[in-house]
Amino acid sequence: MADSPEKRGWLGRIWNAIWTPAVMFSTGFLLLAGFLAGILFWGGFHWTLELTNTEEFCTSCHTMETNLGEYRETIHYNNHSGVRAICSDCHVPDEWSHKIKAKIMAVKDVYHELAGTISTEEKYEDHRLAMASAVWKKMKESDSRECRNCHNFDYMDFTLQETRAASEHQRAIDTGMTCIDCHQGIAHSLPPGYQEEYQKISDSLSAPSKEMLQRHAAASGNDIRTFLKNSTDQGGH
Amino acid sequence: MLEILGTIGGNVLGLPGILGLALGMMTRKLWLGAVMGALVGLIETLLFAGWQFAHVETLELVIALVVGVCAGSLGTAIRRKGATV
Repeated sequence: MADSPEKRGWLGRIWNAIWTPAVMFSTGFLLLAGFLAGILFWGGFHWTLELTNTEEFCTSCHTMETNLGEYRETIHYNNHSGVRAICSDCHVPDEWSHKIKAKIMAVKDVYHELAGTISTEEKYEDHRLAMASAVWKKMKESDSRECRNCHNFDYMDFTLQETRAASEHQRAIDTGMTCIDCHQGIAHSLPPGYQEEYQKISDSLSAPSKEMLQRHAAASGNDIRTFLKNSTDQGGH
Repeated sequence: MLEILGTIGGNVLGLPGILGLALGMMTRKLWLGAVMGALVGLIETLLFAGWQFAHVETLELVIALVVGVCAGSLGTAIRRKGATV
């Protein structure tokens, strides 16, 4: 038997109030109030999320000072066009669910700030390759999604680019390469051994297609011979 | 682990969580709420994969379906508890 209202604790009374039909408010009032509360909540949530995207927020931790100093020496910070890419432009996706995922995963940065994992220059250098590697892997997996928020092969005028850049971009299009395949270290210093590390990432992510190629290479070739024979026979008729 | 938690959070605050809950609140049939939530999860995953099954990651699909089913079921439970119709 349920407790009488007098015997319930404050939690029980709140629970009871939530599920009791409202007799003093009209449906219109409740709908409008819910709608307004929804706007306030969602607006506030989104606004707070955007605040965590600012450069001030990202670099408010001591451990981010090194990254910030390096980034300030690059073209993404200062350039002839006056367009600046801040931390979140490269490290936080635009699409909602990817963005929320990135924000939740960023909790690890707070943990490492508190734990002092990269609190000294020596510790930072010890972890530099691992940190860079994690970002490269993410970018390679997403086909450099964050780079493509601003850069797009379709918008590039190769005639205005340096000859080498134009030919490399054409090669990237032809062979299905992604931005980070060439542009590691575009915003932060590169650690020793980065090329070997990137090769490992590249190999691990393209493993299925490599296996497929090896299977094709190892195949007896009977299917190709049959196809060629059939084509020749049909051509003869 | 963080990858999985992040994906779950993205889905809870994304279409499967919010639309799944809203659709679940439209029915008193638990199975229907769960199915509608799962459908939202499936559609969202396909949408982000550019409508190509080849680009769908199994883990992301599974998490979106589970979150959709949970949200749809919760929506139905809310309907049952909070409405007389």
